[in-house]
Amino acid sequence: MGIMGLALAWETRIPAVAQRERRVEPFRGQVAAPDPAEAGRAEDTALAAACRSGDLRAYERLYALHGARMKNLARNILGSATDAEDAVQETFLKVQRGIASFRGQSSFVTWTFRILVNTCHDARRGRLRKKEVAADDEQQRDDAAPRPEPRASVAHPSLRLALERALAKLTRHQRDVFLLYEVEGFRHAEISSMLEISEAASKNTLFQAKKNLRQMLEPPRGSYAAGAR
Amino acid sequence: MNLTCKERDRIFEDGTAAEWAALEGHAANCVSCAEELRSWKSLSVAAAELREYTESPALWPRIRHSLTEQAASIQKGRKRWSWRSLFAPFSFSWQTAAATAFVAVLMISAGWLLRPNKPPIQEGSLLKSKALTEVEHAESAYVQAIDRLAADAKPQIDNPATPLMGNYREKLLVLDSAIDDLRAQTGQNPSNAHLRYELLAMYQEKQRTLEEILEEKR
Repeated sequence: MGIMGLALAWETRIPAVAQRERRVEPFRGQVAAPDPAEAGRAEDTALAAACRSGDLRAYERLYALHGARMKNLARNILGSATDAEDAVQETFLKVQRGIASFRGQSSFVTWTFRILVNTCHDARRGRLRKKEVAADDEQQRDDAAPRPEPRASVAHPSLRLALERALAKLTRHQRDVFLLYEVEGFRHAEISSMLEISEAASKNTLFQAKKNLRQMLEPPRGSYAAGAR
Repeated sequence: MNLTCKERDRIFEDGTAAEWAALEGHAANCVSCAEELRSWKSLSVAAAELREYTESPALWPRIRHSLTEQAASIQKGRKRWSWRSLFAPFSFSWQTAAATAFVAVLMISAGWLLRPNKPPIQEGSLLKSKALTEVEHAESAYVQAIDRLAADAKPQIDNPATPLMGNYREKLLVLDSAIDDLRAQTGQNPSNAHLRYELLAMYQEKQRTLEEILEEKR
């Protein structure tokens, strides 16, 4: 079954539970769910101060709060759980080394994720050099795309696999923005700070990423129409 | 809020909550927009498939261990004294100024130490002011006495009758020239006893020569 076929009937394949979980942009600000960026601002500042003082318990707290999300993001960028764990470890070390230079222009968590994203891309480049593949980003899309490794059983393994393959064909920025926004739930303001782009650029990049993903995942209109009948 | 199908992409990219609500309303009566909206939302739902927040029991201990090691090495590095740590509290411009001043002091010191060597000055070779005054008085009296001798010998010197007298004349010219040079040097360095001794030797030679000329006259 090809990618096109996988995505043919998402609406019918995705169960009701998943339907309830969907996050649609316009409702983000209205839902009463706690906003991690707003609610955790005080804790973020305290965490940064504790890390700056060298308190290992602060790093443990950072890991407890964001470690799983960090590892998930790293895994989606690198395509390997082992590489992802290495990247998370390296990120913590970089945070410890660079905490003195953190001035609080962005949130501490945002700063940490920026380091993580950069560390992941450094790791990918290192992998590329080892494989002696051309470093041009456009060419990387095919050659250096993360090779997703098998994961724990999920509700829609074929859908995930199709999405992972499609994501691998996006540009680096489109993939990063899609993963940070749609998968990890960051806001555009946070993403713009992490990727050092404007908020408008983050929104536009997400739009382009989703357009490209739709083209890659959806069947041609004709075949959908035929299937619907 | 009324909107058209053309506004759909703009709302997908950066629509407000009200615009999304309007789009939902519009999609209820527009098959094309309904399909686009469903497809667009499906991507967000599918993204959930990429969330896998599994436990990694060994990861935190590993990170903690490496953090502890790195913290220890950072502490060690701080304790190790270095020239760089001495200048660390100062800004780059101050460090540059300090380095420039240091180089200037170094160059002046080197210039002083490597200045051209002058003849070694012997202990006691410099005349003290009182002794110098006495020498100058004695020299002046001696020069006047020699000038008187020269005045007596002047007719023979100016009109040399014999080749010997001609030789005396040439010798006196050379001695006068040497005396002028030495007097010029002692004028610049009056306390130099060595120059004074040389000048005295020249005057003595001139005195002997003049005495020989006067002996010849008799």
